[in-house]
Amino acid sequence: MSAASSDDRAESVRLIRDSAAGLAPRTGDLRRIRALRFEDPGFDRAVWKQMCEMGWPGLRLPEEAGGSALGMAEYCAIAEEVGAALAPEPLVSATMAARALAGTPHATAILTGERLILPAWQERPNTLDTRGDTTTAGGTANGRKIFIPQAAGADAFLVSGKDGLALVERDAPGVTLTTERTQDGGNFGTLSLENAPCTPVPGDLTEALEEAALATAASLLGVMDRVFTMTVDYLKTRVQFGKPIGSFQALQHRAADLKIQVSLSRASVESVAAALDNGLTGPARLAAISRAKARASDSGMLVCRQAIQLHGGIGYTDEADPGLFLRKAMVLCNLYGSATLHRTRFATLAVDSDEG
Amino acid sequence: MTAVTPHQPEDLNDLSDEAFRQHIRQWIEANYPPELRNPPKRLHWSENQVWYFKLAEQGWLCPSWPREHGGMGLSAGKQIIMVEEYERHGVARTNDHGILMVGPLLIAHGTQDQRDFFLPKILAGEHIWCQGYSEPNAGSDLASLRTEAVADGDDWIINGSKIWTTLANDANWIFLLVRTDKTAKKQEGITFLLVPMDTPGITVRPIWTIDLHDEFCEVFFENVRVPQKWTVGAVNQGWTMAKALLGHERIYLGSAKLSQYALDRLKTLADRMGVAEDPDFIDRYTRLKLEIADLKSLHATYVDVVRRGEELGPDVSMLKVIQTELFQKITDTMMEVAGENAALLEPMEGNRELNPSGLFLQARPSTIYGGSNEIQRNILAKNVLRLPG
Repeated sequence: MSAASSDDRAESVRLIRDSAAGLAPRTGDLRRIRALRFEDPGFDRAVWKQMCEMGWPGLRLPEEAGGSALGMAEYCAIAEEVGAALAPEPLVSATMAARALAGTPHATAILTGERLILPAWQERPNTLDTRGDTTTAGGTANGRKIFIPQAAGADAFLVSGKDGLALVERDAPGVTLTTERTQDGGNFGTLSLENAPCTPVPGDLTEALEEAALATAASLLGVMDRVFTMTVDYLKTRVQFGKPIGSFQALQHRAADLKIQVSLSRASVESVAAALDNGLTGPARLAAISRAKARASDSGMLVCRQAIQLHGGIGYTDEADPGLFLRKAMVLCNLYGSATLHRTRFATLAVDSDEG
Repeated sequence: MTAVTPHQPEDLNDLSDEAFRQHIRQWIEANYPPELRNPPKRLHWSENQVWYFKLAEQGWLCPSWPREHGGMGLSAGKQIIMVEEYERHGVARTNDHGILMVGPLLIAHGTQDQRDFFLPKILAGEHIWCQGYSEPNAGSDLASLRTEAVADGDDWIINGSKIWTTLANDANWIFLLVRTDKTAKKQEGITFLLVPMDTPGITVRPIWTIDLHDEFCEVFFENVRVPQKWTVGAVNQGWTMAKALLGHERIYLGSAKLSQYALDRLKTLADRMGVAEDPDFIDRYTRLKLEIADLKSLHATYVDVVRRGEELGPDVSMLKVIQTELFQKITDTMMEVAGENAALLEPMEGNRELNPSGLFLQARPSTIYGGSNEIQRNILAKNVLRLPG
């Protein structure tokens, strides 16, 4: 990131946000999202290709690797819009793979949308450990990876393990992929590798995973921001006892409390993204990311739960939209670390900067 | 619909409470279908009728009805024991609107003809009832309902729609609140009607809920013609009767059963996730457990009121607020403990006991239905604390 003035950065973020409106609209109906739910692969490959053409998975990659070398502020802005749109395309996980594979032809294949390579890093719940017990030495992979978002649409997996990273083709012998549906209509894959052929690649996923955690916090921010806006609109229009329900003080106070949570989440995510772009490193960097993800996970769930309550009976139906936001939050809140995990990590890092 | 021949039971009031409890418990354990214990969702008639018919044959379908009407004629205290034993065993609700609402309503306010016609059909499982109260624009403000009935000769002509009608897709009869006088104060122009669901002009549309279940429906009425003889009580006097019927709902919704079930599942989940021994979890779990214990103590004081045969006051609203918010808090905790599994649509590992996201979603409407918690707090503020405004 070159040292640009803060005005330039704000303009850059605004432009990137505006550019998202076509593919990840923050307003309008959610017909596209509903149509893709609970059907494999859980997203639209053609839309994913368009997102690639817009350069989204390459935002964080250097220009010589086919990316646009933008900062976390820009990446979080896009991730927020994708969250607000409830877009099911796997931007964050594909970006994670592209980031780790930067400079290789595999990354180019991801960036063009030609191949979807998704990271398969996790072996147990509630962890940020990308190593696990999987082995890939000698071009043969053995192990089991879980919670791979949108795995049903992957062409190949970037598998981490004791021996570093390796690529595994989805239809290679010894590869078994099973998927379970998730509340948002997508899927989580479980990848079992038994003497599966693999291609070792250099690098590791640690840094890419940290960025994925912060981008997911940004997506949660988009989710809560939009459902909160919908809820405030509803409070202004729904009439009971002869007046808009938003005129009742109990509900006004609740809306005000939710506004506070959305504002805290935005401040947290955006300030952490800016700190990363300004070169924050070491334990303070990890602590900052944990602060943002813990906040966004807790506030995201709170705002979505209250959106249902404030919509009353209609909020509890599947045909009304608030439920779609709650279900997205249910998926994102614990992905790349739950609030509890991130608070625990924050405490363990014992940093004495602002993040301490 | 198939029906059974009900059996007039022996009078169990003479048993001691403990002997009665054992008697009920043994019979439930011997007769309740094990696969229906603690179902994750409200069961449809196709699923629960086997139990409805078992109860009907035993003569235990209607514990509160007087014996001369085919009920068990149980004292309030023994009815409570029966509910406790059902809850203990995880017995699912049946399509019970006829048992809990229509029967008591007709026994109190119906004509002899109405009782003779309807009560045996409820006891036999021939009539399955649903409740048409709420409307799209009359939710918390129920008295503003607009579905109207206009007299035409010996008939009523009904137009309008009802919403949140539980299991309307199973029912063959509906009891309705309709507006019969548009000029009166809103509570004073409402009449109680009984309507067969197969009357021309009625359509039912299931509403899929957030947990992807069709427990609720919307029911539309377009020039629906029904005989006036199925009016319950006097014309324009429906509101008082309807409110009286809702009274018992709050003590039912205030039972700690759901919270206790969810807490047990939280423990199962924590064991599976390997965090049950973490000090942080132990503190959170114990906090919830103590809240349940205190809720049970408070609930017991209301049960005593019922047992003494006294009326419940408006302060019973507290129970519903405490229980439903506790239920939600427990399932919120489950979502945190479950980690990435919280995202799954189906129970973990195909095990119904490990279903954090399912229970979490199931807990959402509890603070909305049965009079939202906002309405319950209004009742507490206005009718109990007598705050101004």
